[in-house]
Amino acid sequence: MIGLVDGNNFFVSCERIFDPSLEGKPVAVLSNNDGCCISRSNEFKALQIPMGTPYFQLRRVIKKYGLEFRSSNYALYGDISRRIIAVLHEFVPQVEQYSIDEAFIYPALPAETDFHAFGSRIRETLRRWIGVPCGVGFAPTKTLAKIANHIGKKSSSGVFVMPDDPQGILRRTPVSEVWGVGRRLALKLESMGIHTAFDLASRDLPELKRRFSVLLAQTALELRGERCIAAEDPSELSQSISCSRSFGHPVTAFEDLEESVAVYTARAAEKLRKEKQRAAGANIYFQLYPENRHLLLSSTVTSTTVAFEHPTDDTAQMMKAIRPKLRGIFVPGRRYKKSGVLFFGLESGENAPRDLFAPDSEKNNAGLFSVVDQINAKYGRGTLFTLGEGTTKSWQMKRSLLSPDYTTSWDQLLKVK
Amino acid sequence: MAKKEKSKELPPLMAAPAVCGFPSPAEQYVESPLDLNELLVKKAAATFFVRAVGDSMTGAGIRNGDILVVDRSLEAVDGAIVIAAVDNEFTVKYFRKRGSDILLEPANAAFKSIRFAEGMELRIFGVVTACIHQFR
Repeated sequence: MIGLVDGNNFFVSCERIFDPSLEGKPVAVLSNNDGCCISRSNEFKALQIPMGTPYFQLRRVIKKYGLEFRSSNYALYGDISRRIIAVLHEFVPQVEQYSIDEAFIYPALPAETDFHAFGSRIRETLRRWIGVPCGVGFAPTKTLAKIANHIGKKSSSGVFVMPDDPQGILRRTPVSEVWGVGRRLALKLESMGIHTAFDLASRDLPELKRRFSVLLAQTALELRGERCIAAEDPSELSQSISCSRSFGHPVTAFEDLEESVAVYTARAAEKLRKEKQRAAGANIYFQLYPENRHLLLSSTVTSTTVAFEHPTDDTAQMMKAIRPKLRGIFVPGRRYKKSGVLFFGLESGENAPRDLFAPDSEKNNAGLFSVVDQINAKYGRGTLFTLGEGTTKSWQMKRSLLSPDYTTSWDQLLKVK
Repeated sequence: MAKKEKSKELPPLMAAPAVCGFPSPAEQYVESPLDLNELLVKKAAATFFVRAVGDSMTGAGIRNGDILVVDRSLEAVDGAIVIAAVDNEFTVKYFRKRGSDILLEPANAAFKSIRFAEGMELRIFGVVTACIHQFR
């Protein structure tokens, strides 16, 4: 069985951990520069305000509906996401993070296990230990697990296990809700009479391959219960920007880990540029071989969260922020199994509101930046800087409704009376 | 203290005096420096740091400005110090069971206890396991 765990209304749920006044209210988190709604509480959804609604359009009705808004706080969301992954590692041997709020889990349990009870235990632990409500779905394949998770999230228990014969469920699942089927593809499929997941699953595979792609044929197979999408599969299906690999042999040197992170970061940045997107931050993981010698760390995963100063697609900018953090999650003397990087807070560079003061066109300035970096390395950080960075930090991205960095900054800790 | 995620960079506490003799050739046997995280944080994923504000718990050794280590994985038992949400604010108090009621009790005579009768919702954030008081 493969499980999919995801945080409900994740960004809003992160905000609620530290702010009880948001409970029961219509809350939305805004994109960078307070652009539009990117995460909504159930109460907010109930007002029929769609995802992506610009903030300025809602200003007039804030009082009327008692709306609450928060600027996106990726340092906080990244840290909570990191904690969720750490907890999942206590339940299963293999966790594959898919996005900031979703992870596939691979339990090493016999088929006759009560997966509903297992999922409930995971869910309850995440709620108590971290404070985020999650949905859990189990199924034989990733594509089916996505559907199971979707159903679980809407049920009162929050957990759903795909029955042995999923036909009834697939008949009720619109094809547009199948993992990997985008809006445009769904329209095309519907024009061919493929309306539900069941329609897609029962379609002739060579035909799907010929008329669409190998990927869609794989999706159809997955819906039939046949595993096609492997763990750590860097297939195009993956919409998140993440990269993780198990090492061929145990790695012990910090430099090797650092290099693996640099390689993943470069790869992810390339993908971001190709898709004209920028990332607001990243989580970095090292997975360790368990060692009983003396328990320096009980967990077999160490991780850290990095929030970039500005959303970026520039490898150098990313590594500049990531590199200083890596030492902090390196435990000397241990053997490492795997490393991983997940980028989050992805926004399309075209649609995102322009950040006037973001360092401009970093790529075109590659030569310039390397000179600047050299001078700064020689004479100290900040000797040369772009005016875009500002002489005071008052020109930061507009985040007027930002919550404190409760978990990543000593001077912004939650206050208790 | 450094930032939390940099915690492995904390300066090592010197546990052993300098020892004369040959340096060990077997580097893997070198003892790791003492790590405050090992002492204070049992469940990293469920542990949060918060800052105490005010004087309601001075009797328990918690003073204004102290950093509290809060473990959300622990059950609140009678006599524990907990962080709870009261009137949309977080408060640190003793958790006391009084029959079917729950009392959030300060450790300072100038403050009043808060009583939660059966059926009233009490949201516990976590259990306080340590208090960090810095002198400079």
